[in-house]
Amino acid sequence: MTDMKKRPTAAPKPVGHVTIADRRQFLIGSAGLLGAAAFGAGTSLGIGRARAQSRAEISFASAAFFGKETFGDLIKAFNESQDRILVKNIELPPPSSSTEVYQGLVQQLARRNGTPDVFSQDVIWIAGFAAAGWALPLDEYFPADKRSAYFTGTLNACTYGGKLTALPWFMDSGMFYYRKDVLEKHGGKVPENWADMAIIAAAAQKAGDVDFGYLWQGKQAEVLVCDAVEIITSNNGAILAPDGKSSLINQKGAVEAIQFLHDTIATTKISPQDVLSWDEEPSRQPFTSGKAMFMRNWSYVYPIAQDAKASQVVDKVGVAPLPSFPGGKSSACLGGYQLGVNANSKQREAAIELLTWLSSTETQHRIALNFGLAPTRPALFQDEQIKKEQPFMASLEKVFTGATARPITPQYAKVTLALQSGISKALVSGKVQAEMDTLADQINKIVA
Amino acid sequence: MTAAATIPGAGRPRRLGRALPGAFWALILLTPAFVSLASVSFYPIVNGLYLSLTNTSLITQDQDFIGFSNYVQLWGDPQFWNAWWHTMWFTAASTVLETVIGLGMALILCEAFKGRGLVRAAMLVPWAMPTVVTSKMFGWLFDGQNGIVNYILLHAGLIDQNINWYGSPDTAMITIIIADVWKTTPFMALLLLTGLQTVPNSLIEAARMDGAKGWITFWHIRLPLLTPTLLIAGLFRALDAFRVFDLVYVLTGGGPADSTETLSTLSYKVLFSTLQFGYGSAVSTAMFITEGIIALVFVVFLVRQIRRAQ
Repeated sequence: MTDMKKRPTAAPKPVGHVTIADRRQFLIGSAGLLGAAAFGAGTSLGIGRARAQSRAEISFASAAFFGKETFGDLIKAFNESQDRILVKNIELPPPSSSTEVYQGLVQQLARRNGTPDVFSQDVIWIAGFAAAGWALPLDEYFPADKRSAYFTGTLNACTYGGKLTALPWFMDSGMFYYRKDVLEKHGGKVPENWADMAIIAAAAQKAGDVDFGYLWQGKQAEVLVCDAVEIITSNNGAILAPDGKSSLINQKGAVEAIQFLHDTIATTKISPQDVLSWDEEPSRQPFTSGKAMFMRNWSYVYPIAQDAKASQVVDKVGVAPLPSFPGGKSSACLGGYQLGVNANSKQREAAIELLTWLSSTETQHRIALNFGLAPTRPALFQDEQIKKEQPFMASLEKVFTGATARPITPQYAKVTLALQSGISKALVSGKVQAEMDTLADQINKIVA
Repeated sequence: MTAAATIPGAGRPRRLGRALPGAFWALILLTPAFVSLASVSFYPIVNGLYLSLTNTSLITQDQDFIGFSNYVQLWGDPQFWNAWWHTMWFTAASTVLETVIGLGMALILCEAFKGRGLVRAAMLVPWAMPTVVTSKMFGWLFDGQNGIVNYILLHAGLIDQNINWYGSPDTAMITIIIADVWKTTPFMALLLLTGLQTVPNSLIEAARMDGAKGWITFWHIRLPLLTPTLLIAGLFRALDAFRVFDLVYVLTGGGPADSTETLSTLSYKVLFSTLQFGYGSAVSTAMFITEGIIALVFVVFLVRQIRRAQ
């Protein structure tokens, strides 16, 4: 930075008499400029530097989401809204490259040098970051009365070891899509339990109204774990015991649920065998082209289904909470991104201020309108403007309310690989109990 | 920097040059290349070997030296052996198929016919395509619902309902092998074609004069002379097939039921999803060793071939 200040005095010298001293000055100057360019990427260089002296400088890293604006614009708005803090935006790859985003964050956090001060994280990384000591506990800044403004499910996912280590930002969850017009013919009522769903689906399929009764995602991938969490929880089962130290995946609740998924392909045949190789998009396409009765998918499908250019079923699609088993209650898998503060941040107060602003009602409102990402504050679902501009969100509040987190453990990355492999084996072979026993042993070894 | 100072200094290296063998200067001149090679190739290998002897993990922040524990764990890891067998099966099947079909293509292209230049150029298209594109393309071709392969088989009456190629453990690996064969056979054909063209025409003509038919000429003249080329091409192909990653990653992600998990996808998952650099390095070292063994087998055959020729 000191080199930068010298540069203007060196620059006006006449070009004809370039001395070695001038050259050196120029080289130092341009090196400084390069450094500054790398350092200040994203902020407007000149203005940022001039004001930087009096402002606390922090950085914010997030996966790149796009809508009517970008997160860069959001950070710019924050920088302009006050004159005490200057935030540098570090853009990571989009969430579709989730592994790369994860690697990018871990590499920076593992250095423990305080960069980035604030970061956004997928719900499944929270426990790992907290266990590694990278995430600052936020309890003292967000006491109980402030927390009550958020969905409970999201708050649970943000809590590790009894401490709040992340702040809810925006959310997504699994939901149950259905065809209103076909349902009209086959009972008219949205099924609330899985058995009814299977009966209606089979009837609609048999009557030739649709090719497929129920679509879900069975590919050996992260989404399979989400589908499994939903159906297992809806049967009062769980993947991990509440203490997170042992697995319950071979217990009755979980085994029955996985058996049900297997039966949709093998017995009731309401799902094509293809679901075993489908993740989100391949399962979405037959639905929006009018070939399916029911589908489990994320919230992104709704706007597509209502877009006449991409969908054959405009105005024919309804959304509801996923069905459950008798005695259980509907469960949706929690997705979305949450905010965290680097435990090694040197500007803790400034970081908290940014965090508070990003998760505030006003900013979440803006994110809902400009990015189409659902708020984590239930109150916002009643907002008139959101209801008007993003009509699907309001109808989804019920779905978001009960969202269940995937297993909360610092070993999540290992647990999910074991789950993907074990559940896929059970679905393919149909030997559900045996595969779940093996899987439970594996998970016990990982989390013990 | 005065003139007086430079003259005696300039004389010295020339005298030195005469005194030292040329090898010394060759070595000096090669140093930059050697240093860059060492830094981008040798260092990562050694570092990988070292990492495989530690429990390095970005998540737990451990990085202690633990000797061969990772390898002991690897030896008892069913996931690893599952991936190992799949990789070997993929390598063997795709190498054999590509060699046989490639040889057939080379024999055809060796003959003079109209439009041969065009066919030779067109043949290379699959090989020139990025593997990710090939993967996506085969994803659509073999799609269970809308794929053209199912459509054709169904209309030809060969199957009575759609096959879910990528959703069943019985067909997923076979489909990936088909995709690989489509993509890489031209490469084999090209290598074998150059080999075939080194077979002297006079030998074949002499055989024909003696009354040998096409098949006999191939079996007794072309094939024996082509064997070294076949072995070298096979070695290249086998080592490359062993590293298969993009096809599997794009098409199945290792599923269903781990039936297409290969060592590359497994080590990617261990290294970059779970960030266990120690154990992941052990997996990739195991790959390295297996590749070494495969290369050794080919080299043994090659050496035997050369001895026999002598």
